[in-house]
Amino acid sequence: MGRSLKKPPYVVERLLEKVYRADSSGSREPIKTWARASTIVPEFVGKNFAVHNGRSFLKLYVTEDMVGHKFGEFAPTRTFKGHGGKASKAPKK
Amino acid sequence: MPRILGVDIPNDKRTVISLRYIYGIGPFLSEQLCVRTGIDPDKRARDLTEDDLAKLASLLDNEYVVEGQLRRQVQQNIARLRDIGCYRGLRHRKGLPVRGQRTRTNARTRKGPRKTVAGKKGVKELR
Repeated sequence: MGRSLKKPPYVVERLLEKVYRADSSGSREPIKTWARASTIVPEFVGKNFAVHNGRSFLKLYVTEDMVGHKFGEFAPTRTFKGHGGKASKAPKK
Repeated sequence: MPRILGVDIPNDKRTVISLRYIYGIGPFLSEQLCVRTGIDPDKRARDLTEDDLAKLASLLDNEYVVEGQLRRQVQQNIARLRDIGCYRGLRHRKGLPVRGQRTRTNARTRKGPRKTVAGKKGVKELR
């Protein structure tokens, strides 16, 4: 289900602030974020992010094609190591 | 049988119906095409004149994306999703349903024929 067009895209504003601050200070450090639901806007293109997946931060370099998607789409939350067999039994915790 | 845009040869059904044999033309667009070219939608496709066909072809060529071009467009959209490594792209890569459907059962269209796993519970009962 798409978002109603009369609303603007959902962007976590703190993230925009962080991007501007990183820009002015010239920092190339990835910006850590938990804002998986935030839409990627053109301002984020060419920046490094670290998106939380519930366990760790996954690095993400934002390209132009990613605009309009959400951060969460790029940090999978589930690990699937395959069914059955020795290979999958070994790494089980 | 009439040919529109190269390969498509709709048969001798009503024009509105037979136009839908072209990839990218559904009920709505078919209806719209008939109105815009002034062709009687109930006329059999075999009775279409050269003039009718030319009108349809030029309209489709200029204003709509159908057939090969449309297929390519769809493929490109999927390729883009794959390339950027987003969730939908991953699902396409793995050949699993993309829109959040269940995969515990069903999803056979995407997964293809069942691959029975030997020794798994329930396999014996199935035979």
